[in-house]
This record gives sequence, structure tokens and C-alpha cells, in this order.
Amino acid sequence: MRTAKLIWRMIKYRPWLYIMNALVWTSIHTIPVLTGLITRAFFNSLTGEAAGLNIWTIIAMLVGAALARISCIVLGALTDSRHRFTMSALLRNNMLQGILRRPGAQSIPCSPGEAVSYFREDAEAAEDIISWTVDMLGTIAFCIVAVFVMVGISPRITLFVFLPLVVVVIIFTQATHKIEAYRQAARDASTQVTGFIGEVFGSVQAVQVARAEKNTIKHLRQLNDQRRKLILKDRAFNLLLDSFSSNTVWVGTGFILILASQAMQQGAFSVGDFALFVYYLDWVTGASEFFGYFLARFKQMTVAFDRMLEILPGSTHQDLVEHTPLHLDGVLPDVEPTANDPEGLRELVVNKLSFHYPGSEKGISDISLRIRQGEFVVVTGRIGAGKTTLLRAILGLVQKDSGELYWNDQPVTDPGSFLIPPRAAFTSQIPMLFSDTVKGNILLGQTEERIDVQSAVHTAVLEPDLQQLEQGLDTMVGSRGVKLSGGQVQRVAAARMFARNADLMIFDDLSSALDVETERLMWERVFSKQSATCLVVSHRRAALRRADHIIVLKDGAVIDEGKLDELLPRCEEMRLLWHGDHADSDQTKEALRQLQSAGSNNN
Amino acid sequence: MNIPLKQYLQLLSKYLRPQWKRAAFLAFLIFVSLGMQLAKPQILRVFIDAAMGNRPGANLVATAILFMVVAVITQGLIAYSRYVSEDVGWTATNLLRNDLATHCISLDMSFHKSHTPGEMIERLDGDITKLSNFFSQMVVGIMSNVILLLGVMIMLFRENILVGIGLSFFAILSVVVLTYLRNIAVPYWTAERQNSGMFFGFLGEHLSGTEDIKANGAVGYVMHRFYSRLREWLPVVRKAYLAGITMWSATIATFTLGNAIAFGLCWYLWRTQGITIGTVYLIVNYTELLRRPIEQIRTQMQELQRASASITRLSGLLQLESKVQDGAGAVLPVGPLSVEFADVTFGYEDDDTVLKGVTFSLQPGKVLGLLGRTGSGKTTLARLLLRLYDPTTGALRLGGVDARDTELNYLRQKITLVTQDVQLFQASVRNNLTFFNPEVPDEQIAAVLEDLGLGNWLRSLPGGLDTVLNSGGTSFSAGEAQLLAFARCFLVDPSVVILDEASSRLDPATEQLIERAITKLLENRTGVIIAHRLDTVERADDILILEQGSIVEHGPRLELLKNPGSRFSSLLQTGLKELLA
Repeated sequence: MRTAKLIWRMIKYRPWLYIMNALVWTSIHTIPVLTGLITRAFFNSLTGEAAGLNIWTIIAMLVGAALARISCIVLGALTDSRHRFTMSALLRNNMLQGILRRPGAQSIPCSPGEAVSYFREDAEAAEDIISWTVDMLGTIAFCIVAVFVMVGISPRITLFVFLPLVVVVIIFTQATHKIEAYRQAARDASTQVTGFIGEVFGSVQAVQVARAEKNTIKHLRQLNDQRRKLILKDRAFNLLLDSFSSNTVWVGTGFILILASQAMQQGAFSVGDFALFVYYLDWVTGASEFFGYFLARFKQMTVAFDRMLEILPGSTHQDLVEHTPLHLDGVLPDVEPTANDPEGLRELVVNKLSFHYPGSEKGISDISLRIRQGEFVVVTGRIGAGKTTLLRAILGLVQKDSGELYWNDQPVTDPGSFLIPPRAAFTSQIPMLFSDTVKGNILLGQTEERIDVQSAVHTAVLEPDLQQLEQGLDTMVGSRGVKLSGGQVQRVAAARMFARNADLMIFDDLSSALDVETERLMWERVFSKQSATCLVVSHRRAALRRADHIIVLKDGAVIDEGKLDELLPRCEEMRLLWHGDHADSDQTKEALRQLQSAGSNNN
Repeated sequence: MNIPLKQYLQLLSKYLRPQWKRAAFLAFLIFVSLGMQLAKPQILRVFIDAAMGNRPGANLVATAILFMVVAVITQGLIAYSRYVSEDVGWTATNLLRNDLATHCISLDMSFHKSHTPGEMIERLDGDITKLSNFFSQMVVGIMSNVILLLGVMIMLFRENILVGIGLSFFAILSVVVLTYLRNIAVPYWTAERQNSGMFFGFLGEHLSGTEDIKANGAVGYVMHRFYSRLREWLPVVRKAYLAGITMWSATIATFTLGNAIAFGLCWYLWRTQGITIGTVYLIVNYTELLRRPIEQIRTQMQELQRASASITRLSGLLQLESKVQDGAGAVLPVGPLSVEFADVTFGYEDDDTVLKGVTFSLQPGKVLGLLGRTGSGKTTLARLLLRLYDPTTGALRLGGVDARDTELNYLRQKITLVTQDVQLFQASVRNNLTFFNPEVPDEQIAAVLEDLGLGNWLRSLPGGLDTVLNSGGTSFSAGEAQLLAFARCFLVDPSVVILDEASSRLDPATEQLIERAITKLLENRTGVIIAHRLDTVERADDILILEQGSIVEHGPRLELLKNPGSRFSSLLQTGLKELLA
């Protein structure tokens, strides 16, 4: 009954709203009891069993019941929409917070498109099921009142109305455990479709350039067809159960007819009584169908909860339904300002840090390094050497296997939440900008009073670009910053990092999309700041020359470290990387010689 | 807001035609089950009249059993027809999804810039899945309910003309009211769907940027935006919900009216014409039978309203025409092509200009080195070459042929591009390299990978070419991904090769590894190399320098190199200042 517990916990999040909703919907579901009684009165007044009731009185009662029901429905729409929204928002909130608690580079174990489908569909499934518990309560209330009325008329027939219902419920509960497997398969197939659509449209330029439109669509068609088949299997099973439950009820109706025939002939059971029984039976049929459907969906809810938990590795079901504030009303608190780091960085020590990507040999082993205040440390190495991985492991963007970190001699237990502004800030290799203005991307919710946007923009050499943009800092950046060029995105991301005013700045190959002049300017401006302490991945000469310390990585391990002039003579790998950066063609050397001589002639 | 029924019917006929046999079978099933539903009240009348002694000689038990049998068969038929309708619906919407995906994927890039992948998922999956309900609801639901409604009316007219007229009035009123209300909710549903599309677009974007979020302490910022979105969304949801509920309330009101009419008429006929109590029950029962179709029509109309919103959006998408259209099918010369820009001006939006009057030409088989500051228009120039966009004014000629006269597919067969962003799919290595083209032989792929020095990597994969790459690609370095992009490029045989900052993320050691391969690729082909770094253009014959969308220098590289006043040589000087110092 784990699902029930989770749902109970969610209901307790807004108990009064739920109770309110339940009351309103119980009224909506039980008012038809009255309509049944009015119908009975109509027939009985015709056949003379209940004389005295005028046709106009009957019609007035009929209209009154309907108006009462309509008023309840309007009220119910208000409570239900609010409660539904709250329930799915709570799950989505907890999922997002859970994901953001994870190491940044290992946040979700699937594609973002897939993750979005969990956020959308599974939270919606939970919303549905919780909203339906209210209907369940109402339906049960209807059944109880109806039984009460019917027992008053004929206990024997009442028994036969409800007997099939009980049978249906038992069969349903037994059968529904099979639904889960079908359901899961159908959902997985669905996720594959959405994931693929997301990927294709995320890289549509590459698809167009490769003329792969037809082939990707063909692949999509296969995924679609697979999903259709699985969904039909799921549906077939549901329909079979559905039809079975209805039939059980119809067979029950037949029995009532047989039973009623004796009583009617004896005059103990009026046509009005019969009309009431059939009228209630109609509703009871609906109720039992809903009951079965609810049970089936309730079972399926286990899958939905498991799926939502799947994208939160390491979390429990409890975390998923945690009572966290949603800020749907009242004042939305501002983003908490980043506090200043009173102590500042003296030294960051990394000791025997290891990390390997799960199920792979790739990663880094036993890496130690030390960064002192004001130092410029460069990590270099060829591709796949583990440079990015090293940065991620230090920053806690991946969960390290072993090793320790010390910040000013204090051990850092959770780098993911410690090495953030104001202590550290980071620009990743392929930075992401969010759908917001350039300024919004730089501020990240901090107020302008606290952040020197202009200075960050200056350091990042972003001013010329901003001048080109009509709205400057207020330009909206597209979904992935697509309206900016690769280098512009990188420089906005750099400005975002500079704006954090962190003790330690970490750049992952910042210069890969920058031209020579821009890069030179940026370095110059970074170093003009006295306090700048930098850890940089680069193989550019500009960076290597400035480095106080160079760490050469190969196959995930440090093979040498030191200053450039120490490393060049003794480290083969360093030489390879250094000389590789400039194709020392004879032509260029020749040109340089000419330029030099031209320069000296002018002198 | 009026939803044209024509759009529905067009959709229906277009996507149902391929499976008309199943659709016809479905119609047959529905007719049979409807007939049986109409028979049930008749059996009940016989039963009641017999039980009350108005019909001597009737066998009560046999009548009851007949009722049971008819009811059970009806239910079975209904279930089966629902299954068939689901199948028909999904088959039809899969066709539609394919058509729409095919359409959208070939729209020009200005469309894709303003539509996030998350939004496309909402359109292609969210909206179309709504339409799959639309198909099954339309075909089985509304149609069969309308027919049942008509059937009941006919039965009532058979009983008594007055009853027929009275309840027809009720039925017509219901239909009119429901039709009138049908369109009320549509704008609210549209707003809700749009809002949810934006919300999930927002989520998707932030789920792909967790690394940046975490390391820059932006969790609070993201959550703040999340809450703001929720607060915007809630009132929209409430309005949509209320709009939907209006129809339910209307159904209850009209249905109560129907009951009142039936009661009144029966009362009158009982008093004046002495109809049997069984007939009174039959009339009330038929009126009752109208409850389900009308109530279902209500929910189906709601579905229809949602589908209307989806259809409006989807047909909007389908009506979008790519700004880049296939040309008449001009054929390009064989072998390396010349590239010529004649006064080309282009901007992504109406009010900005990225390229201004660019004119230059490149001889067949030559290599052009394209230089300029970030944002100077280099990448844009490459995009124009591939006809991802067409110039606003001016012309672009390949081998003397205006690029706009060629078919896109043909043109892109002749030109390849290696970009700095390498997109990987959650699919096999093979599919990632061939873009799902099954016709590329494995040996060719293996040979290309071997050539790029990825032979060992390929052999280390547990499933070989069938190994599935993870979309996030965290265990995959950007440099390695870039090598795969090269492999993609080698698998086609283009006449023009564009390298857009292709080697920017490769470390020097690895870069040397593929230098050889690039040389091979440029052999007997025209090349355009876009780079920020000077050494990348070492192999260029010509140099072109862009600044804010205009050419500031263009000429043979060696000549520019010799001219100390040229921008190129001054760039060389800045770039190599350290070396000179």
C-alpha cells in the first residue's frame, strides 16, 4: 500500500482544501439519489400508490435538485482545479529541487526530453488519482444512501443489486496487477517517442545539413508504430475488464427483473419502485465502472511514482511528496542574495581525487593539486585526458569515487553545495543560457545593486556585441541562446561567472570559440583584477604562458606538473601539446621574419 | 471563436482514407450495437405490462433472460468497437504525426530558433495525442451518440406524435445549446495548452543546463522562476476548468428539462388516452437513454474543444511555409564547385543585418579561410551556403548556378558542414554516424573511424556499432564527439566542405591526428574553413576577413602575407605577439 501512503501524504499537504473539495463533490454525487426518489414518486402517483402529489410539484422538485447540483459543480470546479494544480505542482517542485540537489553533470539519468515527460505525465497521473479519491468518496456516499433507500423498499432485491458489484470489484483487484506491465511498456514507448522528437528538434540544423530528414522521420515512424501496438495492448486489456464489469451488472439487472416479476405480480413491488431500482442501478453501474477504473489507475500509479523517483537517484518516495512551499499565493520571496565570503580563499587543496563514469573505465585517478590565492593554474592534456572530468569532480558536478578537498585547511564534504558563489564560479565548455534577457542571465536573480553587471560585461569583452544588439543587455536570449553566436554565448557565460565575484574562478576551455584578439583582451582584464584566482582548462599558449602552475593530464592521471619552462624541456606530452598549438609552417616563419625585418626597417 | 467543421472533416477523411475498410467495419459494429440498445426498453415495456397483468400469456422469465442476453452482447460489441476505434485513431494520428514532423523538420532555421525542442514535443506529441482521442471520440463517440439520439427520437415518434414532438424539441434544444457552448471554452483551452507548453519548455531548458545552474549557485534563481511560472499558470488553468464545466452544467439543465417534458406528457397521455404503465415507462426510459449520449457528447465536446485548440495550433504549423524552398532542380557541375557571393545581404530578423553586400568568389578546388571576430557573420555565411537561410537580397552561386534554383536535398548532398556543436542522439553509434540511414555499409563506417584514429574506440564498444550512446553524453568528451562529427562528414561525398571552427575543441595532439584526414577530405574539393585561430587557415588558398557583416579584406593568402599593411598580417602579428616577444 505504498502508493496509498504517498497519496495520503500528498492529501495532507492542503487538508482543508481537500476536505472542502470532498464535501462539494460528495454533494454533486449524492444529489441524484433525490432524482431517483422523485421519479419513483411520479410513477407511484400514476398508479395510485402515492396519491396527492401534483405533477407540478414533481417537476418543481426535479428542477430544484438540478439547480442545487449545478451550483455545487461550479463551486467544485473552483476547489478541484486549485487542488489538482497544487498536487501536481508539489510533485514537480520536489522533482526539480531533487534534480538540482544532484551533482550538476549527473543530474538526470536520461535525456531532458524524457525527464520532461515524467514531469508532465506522471505528475498529471498523480493529480488525476488524487482528484478522483474525492469522486470515490462521493460515489461511495451515493451508494450508501441508495442502499439505505432500497433496503427500505426491498432488502432481497437490494442484495442482488450489490452482489454483482462486489464480484466486479474482486475481479478487478485481482486482474489489475497485470495492467502495470502493459502500462509500463506503453509509457516507455511513449517516452522514446518524445525523447526522440526532442533530440531531433534540438539538433535540427545538423539533421538538415546531413539531409537526414527522411531517415529520422522513418525512425520516428518506427517508434510511433511500436507505441501504437503497445498502447493497443494496454487498451485491449482495459476494455476487456471494462466490458466484463458492465456485463456483470447487466446480468445482475436481469436477476432483478426475475425477482421483481414475482413481487410485482403480487403487488408488493410497484412500477415506481422498479423505476427507482433501475435508475439507481444505472448510477451504481457507473459507480462500479468508476470504482474499477479507479483501482486500475491506482495500481498504475505505482508505476508513475516509481518513474518519478527514477529521475531522482538516491532519493526516497518520501522526498517526492515532501511538504515544500509552492508560493502560489502571497508574496513570492526574492532570490536569496549570495552572502559575501568573509574569509576568502587562501588555499584549495585537492588530494588523491578519483572519479570514473559508471560502467566505464573513463575518468580520473588519484589527482592531487593545490591552488593558492592569486594563482593561475592551468590543466592541459589531449582530448579524453580527463580535464573536464577533473573540474567536474572538484566542483562536485560528478560524485567523486574517493579523495579529499580542503578549503583553507577545512575539509569540504559536499563540494557541490560548497564550491559555489561566493567561493567558486564556473564556466562550462558548452555553456547554457536560459530564456531570459542577457542581463537576467548574468544576474541569475541577484539584484543589480549587488552585482556589477557593467564590470562583468567589460571583463568578458561583451561590450562590442551588446552594442550590436538593439536592446543591449535587455535582449532576450533564445531557448538555448541560439540567437547569439557560439563565442557570444561563451562570453555571456563568462560574464555570468565574473558577476558572481567568486574567490575562485574555474574556466573549462573558455577560449574554444573565441578569436585570438578577444581571448587576449579577456585574459588581460581577468588578470588586472588583483584578487583573481583561476583554475583553467586550456591548451592555448596564451594561457600556458601566464600559468603559475601547469598540470599535464594523460589518460586520467597527472603525468607532470610545474611551470612551462620547466615542463617544456622534460615533458614529451607538454612539448607535443605546445608545438601542436601552432602549425610552425615554413611559410608563417618566413612571413614573420619579413614582418620583423619590416618593423626594424621602420625603426 | 468559431472552429470550422471543415477542418475536422478534412483531417478525418485524409487520415482515415488509407484504412477505410476498418473504418467501415467499425461503422457496422456501431450500428448493430446501437440497434440492440434501442431494443432494450422495448423488452422492458413487454416485461412491465406483463407483470402488471396487461399482457396475458407473456413469459416473464423468458423476457428477463432475453433482456440479459441482448444487454451482454451489446456490451461486448461496444467494447470491441472501442478497441477498433482506438486502433484506427492511433494509426491515423501516427500518419498525421509523421506528416507534421516531416513538415516541421524541413522548415527553415528561423522557425526552429523560435521554437524550443520542448515546445515541439508539446506540439508533435501532446497536441497530436489529444487528436488521437479526437479520432476515436469523433468516430465512435459523437457519431454513434448522434445516431443513437436519432434512433430514440424515431422510436418516440412511433409511440405518439406528441411525445415525439415534445422530446424532439428537447433534443434539438440540447444540440443547439451544446453547439453554441462548444466554442466558448476553446480560447481558454488554447491559452492553457500554450501555457503548459511554455512551462515544460522552461523545465526542459533548465534540465539540460543543470551543470551551469549548480556551479554558479543559480538554484535559487531557477526555483524562483519556477514559482513565478506556476503563479502565472494557475489562473489560466482555473479559467480553462471553469469554461469546461459550463457545458456539463448546461447538459444537466437541459436534461432536467427533458425529464420534466417526459413526465408532463406521460401524465397527460395517461389521463387522456389511457396509455399503459409499460408505455409510460418506455417513454421515460427512452428519455433516460438520452442521458448517456448527451452526457457523453458533453465530455466528447470537451475533448473536441481541446482537440480544436490543438487543431488550430497544428494547422497553424502546417500552414507555415519554409522561407527556404526547393528550386526548379538545377543540376550542378560535376567535381569541385566554384562559390560566388554576389552582393549578398542577409538578416535573421527584418530589422537586423548580419551580412551587408558581401561579394566574393572562390575558384573550384580552392580553399577559403574565413576570419573575423565572433559575431562578424562567418557562421551565417556558412549557413547561407547550405541554404539553411536564403539571402535577403543578392545571389549566391555554386558552379555558376544560383543556389535558389537547386533542390535542398540535392544541394546538401554537394555541401557538408562540420559545426562546433555536435549533437548526439540516444541511438546506436551507427545511427549517430549515418543519421539513421540504413544504407551505409558497416565496413565503410569502420574504415572511416579507423582513418580518424577511432579504431580502438570502436573496438572497445561492447556492442560495436550497435552500442547505444547516451544523449547527455557525459562520459563522452566534447573532443571525441567532434571526431564523430568528422566521421559523419567523411561518410558523404561532397563537392564543397565547410569546416566551421571544426577543430576548436580538439587538443593539438588529437588535431594532428586528423590533419591528414582533413587534407584527404579537401583533396579535389572546394573548401571553406571558418576559424578564430590563424593556424587553422594555414591550408587556405584565399583569405577573407569579415567585420560586422562586411568584407574588410579578401585576397590570396600568400599575397596578403607578404603585404605588411594587410589586416591579415597584422592579425598574424597580434596572434603571434607572444612568439615575437
